[in-house]
Amino acid sequence: MPIIEVRELTKSYRVYRKREGLRASMRGLFRREYTEVEAVRGINLRVEAGEFVAFLGPNGAGKTTTLKLLSGVINPSGGTATVMGFVPWERRNEYRRRFALVMGQKNQLWWDLPAQESYRLHQQIYGIPEDHFRRTLDELTDLLEVTPLLGQPVRELSLGERMKMELIAALLHSPEVLFLDEPTIGLDVIAQHTIQRFLRQYQERRQTTILLTSHYMKDVAALCQRVVIVAGGLVQYDGSLAGIVDQFSGKKIVTLQFAAGNRPEDLARLGTILETQWPRVKIGIARAEVPRVLATTLRDYAIEDVSVEDPPLEDVIADLFHQVS
Amino acid sequence: MGAELLIPNRSQADDSRRLTGTLAASRAAEKTPAGSWAAETRRYLRVFLTFARNSLIRDMTFRADFLFHCISSVAWTLMNVGFYLLVFRFTMMIGPDTGWGRDEFFLFLATVWFINSLVQAFFIPNANEFSELIRTGGLDFALLKPIDTQFLISFRRVEWSSLSNFAVGLLIAGISLHGLATRAESPVYLTPLTLSLYLFFVGCGVAIMYSLMISLAATSVWLGRNQSLYDFWFYITNFSRYPMEIYNTPWGRPLLGLFTFVIPVLVVVNVPARILARPLNPRADWEWQLAVWAVIATGLCLIASRWVFRQSLKSYRSASS
Repeated sequence: MPIIEVRELTKSYRVYRKREGLRASMRGLFRREYTEVEAVRGINLRVEAGEFVAFLGPNGAGKTTTLKLLSGVINPSGGTATVMGFVPWERRNEYRRRFALVMGQKNQLWWDLPAQESYRLHQQIYGIPEDHFRRTLDELTDLLEVTPLLGQPVRELSLGERMKMELIAALLHSPEVLFLDEPTIGLDVIAQHTIQRFLRQYQERRQTTILLTSHYMKDVAALCQRVVIVAGGLVQYDGSLAGIVDQFSGKKIVTLQFAAGNRPEDLARLGTILETQWPRVKIGIARAEVPRVLATTLRDYAIEDVSVEDPPLEDVIADLFHQVS
Repeated sequence: MGAELLIPNRSQADDSRRLTGTLAASRAAEKTPAGSWAAETRRYLRVFLTFARNSLIRDMTFRADFLFHCISSVAWTLMNVGFYLLVFRFTMMIGPDTGWGRDEFFLFLATVWFINSLVQAFFIPNANEFSELIRTGGLDFALLKPIDTQFLISFRRVEWSSLSNFAVGLLIAGISLHGLATRAESPVYLTPLTLSLYLFFVGCGVAIMYSLMISLAATSVWLGRNQSLYDFWFYITNFSRYPMEIYNTPWGRPLLGLFTFVIPVLVVVNVPARILARPLNPRADWEWQLAVWAVIATGLCLIASRWVFRQSLKSYRSASS
């Protein structure tokens, strides 16, 4: 029995199309043109308990909308979804006690108060017993190294520190399912790394089911065994990170190092020349062609070194996003 | 913090299992029907007290702002007192035979300040923030919490400085009551019954005002933005701050009907103030009928505001991530 099950989930919005200029605005007072925007066009997904799944996709692909639907923040236009057996948009307290949503772009802590005051409030709202609250808070602040900051007003914290505080707020009630929407957005490398490390440890320890969206490949590579690519409101890929390259990239990158003084002019016949830095040349070659091209190359030229690699993951994904959009 | 944390050791794993265990037990306990109502009430009360406490901490952080707000609102109220004292130098009563002499009228004004300061302290900042949360998408977080969303939205913030007018109201009410009780001709005394009825109807008045404000704020879901909240508050308090007899003219009667039966802001102050100040002695029958209507109107307003609130949540779209 999967912990999250999503079938043909759709969400469309009606948006007012405003044309440019004053005259158009006046006309808009009386007659408005609306367009349907389909943010999510039929997502299917099954997630087992304890999985750490990444949602990848370009901006506007429907990732955040999907997380909001699964959190019950908005109602869908069609399709079904259950999380731990609950229909999210019924917004039942039994469900809301058992999951959390963290949004990197929004904050829920009281801006002018120290984070610990907001935590107290969470304790009251979720009805967390005192001993459990204390232990969880100690554990989380310790792991994220923010214990000395608990008494500082949130507005005086750096972005990275604030994000850590937001994470703690979301985890105080020990959710079984956690939705993370770009938790590392705008953070420096060190803060990103701390949050990645924290999430990995936390997930290993608690076996929480986590759905993460992020634009940073490093987050995904460090954390998730499974990647779901969403683009144009549909799931385009669902599998391992390494599998993306196999499935979507038909080429390999061959780097040739020529012997000194060798600068052949006719390399274009081998494939697409990607980079030339004599004596090294990088050539993109269709996967099936690699053995034949290599044999030809070794026969015709004086070569000192050869390496064959997959193209970088970022490039493959960028190509994929581009194709879909 | 070090590498050893990467591997959960046995005691930590046990620990987290135990933690999950206690939480599961407390979750199970909340589901049992026996005593759950009392437990839920306690939880809501605790949350409200924490909101009030956090607001106070916040207000005290910005103490100059806090003081300035207290001073300016008390000054405004005292200016009003001065203004009405001037008016009463030219007349003995608001309208012939209405019974609203100076002491009665100042008791009426004290009631206005009680109700307005309560609404301004507890609900106006929340209603205003609610419409802002809708516009910015900040409502997301409120919808995630395992607690009634309308409760959470309505009580998040307490503007303590607005209660300074409550204190002024107490002072004016005290002076007026003393004046009424010590006058030579038909003195009016405070009895436990009139006081309880008064407090009850002040509560009804606050509830009616709250319902109007929260419903209006909820319309931000459909309107995209709604900045007319404070204007609206100003208009309706202007209508509700005088004895309803002043509308008793040919062209005023439609207004009287509108603000008694459709948007019942006239009963908000009039009903409790009449009970305490007793302008008509003996009381007229219509005064009791009006009081019964105030109770019904309170119920209807609360139900209607609940309905509007729920509809607005259904249509909530959540702003961009």
